[in-house]
Amino acid sequence: MIRGLAIGLALALFAAAAMLLAGANPLLGFWALFRGALGGVPQISETLVQTTALLFPSLAVAFAFRAGLFNIGAEGQLVIGGLVAGVIGARLETSGLIAIPLLLIAGSAGGAAWGAIAGVLRARFGGSEVIATLMLNIVAALLANYLVVGPLHSPGVAGPETAELPHSSWLPALLPGTRLTVALLIALALAFVLRWVFARTVFGYELRAVGDAPEAARRAGINLAKTAFVTMALSGAMAGLGGATIVTGVLHRFNVSLSPGYGFIAIAVALVGDLDPLRIIIASFAFGILQSGALSMQALAHVPKDVVSFVEGLAIVALAARRFVAGRKQMTALAPE
Amino acid sequence: MSGIQDFVVLTLVKAAPLIYAALAGVVCERAGILNIALEGQLTIGAFTAVAVSFATGNPVIGLLAGVVAGALVGLLLGVAATRFGVDQIVAGTGINLLALGGAAFGLTVVFGQPGASAEVSALGVPGERGLIVGAFVAALLLHLALYRTPWGLRTRASGENPRAVRSAGIDPRNVRLIATMLGGALAGLGGVYLSLGELDLYSDGMTAGRGFIALAAVIFGRWTPFGATGAALGFGALAALQFVLQRSGVPSELMQALPYLAALAALTGIAGRARAPQADGVPYTE
Repeated sequence: MIRGLAIGLALALFAAAAMLLAGANPLLGFWALFRGALGGVPQISETLVQTTALLFPSLAVAFAFRAGLFNIGAEGQLVIGGLVAGVIGARLETSGLIAIPLLLIAGSAGGAAWGAIAGVLRARFGGSEVIATLMLNIVAALLANYLVVGPLHSPGVAGPETAELPHSSWLPALLPGTRLTVALLIALALAFVLRWVFARTVFGYELRAVGDAPEAARRAGINLAKTAFVTMALSGAMAGLGGATIVTGVLHRFNVSLSPGYGFIAIAVALVGDLDPLRIIIASFAFGILQSGALSMQALAHVPKDVVSFVEGLAIVALAARRFVAGRKQMTALAPE
Repeated sequence: MSGIQDFVVLTLVKAAPLIYAALAGVVCERAGILNIALEGQLTIGAFTAVAVSFATGNPVIGLLAGVVAGALVGLLLGVAATRFGVDQIVAGTGINLLALGGAAFGLTVVFGQPGASAEVSALGVPGERGLIVGAFVAALLLHLALYRTPWGLRTRASGENPRAVRSAGIDPRNVRLIATMLGGALAGLGGVYLSLGELDLYSDGMTAGRGFIALAAVIFGRWTPFGATGAALGFGALAALQFVLQRSGVPSELMQALPYLAALAALTGIAGRARAPQADGVPYTE
């Protein structure tokens, strides 16, 4: 806790120094940041929209980390989830009761498939999931661009995006007149389910065992390859679900730039939240403040919004302590079966 | 025949930054550090070179500054990984985010505009050619250094069996630190090539995933300088082919995706048994 505060303070000082460098008043900068994120109901709901968008991939990243797997590919899985939901959603004219669950499931399935590619490479061939997910991120972006501009192009749409989803397929808003939808509740529910899975289920126990001590887990009869595959697929499903909620809840269409790097920021969020699903909720909210306050900071205090990704990057470097990765070292050292 | 000549030239132009970045990846991984921050090092090298050339009016000073800045980003990764027990993969991801944000932030601070810098005095055609030749010279030098010098032996040993290095009275963490700095400098030079060699400005996203293509080239090149250079040339040829095939109906996204798809295929062992250094990416602790 004290360590966390110290790091937070150091990062705030870094941000202040950066603002000074940009010729802005840091106090004004922070004021604008918080006002833009928390200054009223519209601001808070927008912050919660960002919180939701971060929560899905952060849970995905944490889930894989707990099993000793580095899913650097939440970004690509999120994009594929959004792509699948957007492509189907734009062509689907049916009742929301059917369409919404269908699109969310389809998005999750898309993300799961994308994560499963890395899972297969890890489980079957012992290939590094780090390299695989890094490459799959870029392939996902290229594939999405190719499909929505090319073969799956919607008539009358100019940009790299699908047509708008019919109103019936939009996620119900929590607050009328804002972009905040039930996606927040789904994300919170997912966090609690994960908490329960980790703490109370055999699968969660096996997952943590593989992450903490793979060799011991193997000797105890846990199938490492299968666990790796299932973990990557489920992790991808969570990120894909996140992408689908952005499409059905926020943008109401798929656009190739639907994510400003949520899948990467998620790594910072997961680490700040100590890989604990409930603490990740709080961490997502903190990073949601940064995301939604950044534009107001730029407008009101003339601080370039990119200072936020700079600080998030620093946070990742500062927070990635060794204890998260004790298992990974052994996992990678094990030869594939 | 000028068609073929143009193609070869374009291949070299497209391959040069990949070669620098791939060599950076080779030296880091041979020392045991999986450097996924190559993209960030390219970015910082490219941006710093332009900013310093803008401030001093001298592109050569810009070049040197880009190399130093790349080395410092490499040092950040090295210090985090060897001194503070930060995981290399996570640190690399953080550095990529930090570098992209830092360069975008720097653009606004130095040039007062987002997106792209003003045009600055660049290295010109002789400079670009020099840097292309330099990439091959760097490959040769790295090969000699890795396989013919005591430093190279220590570096390779740190990536295979750091405990043995420790037994010989050398701290593998220091060896890895030097490798990340050298790697950062090489990747920084690749960035300088992009901004001051091929062009005369910096724009957001100009590195366009080359740091990740370089990682693929390292795997394809089986972690050797010559192998990685060959793979980078191959990927450079793919990029050149994209121009040739621009109006042929072959989707450009497919061409762009090929290096990454090739890397995924390589992970299945399809290209023969390519083995990473034993302790690649594995933290060393006393």
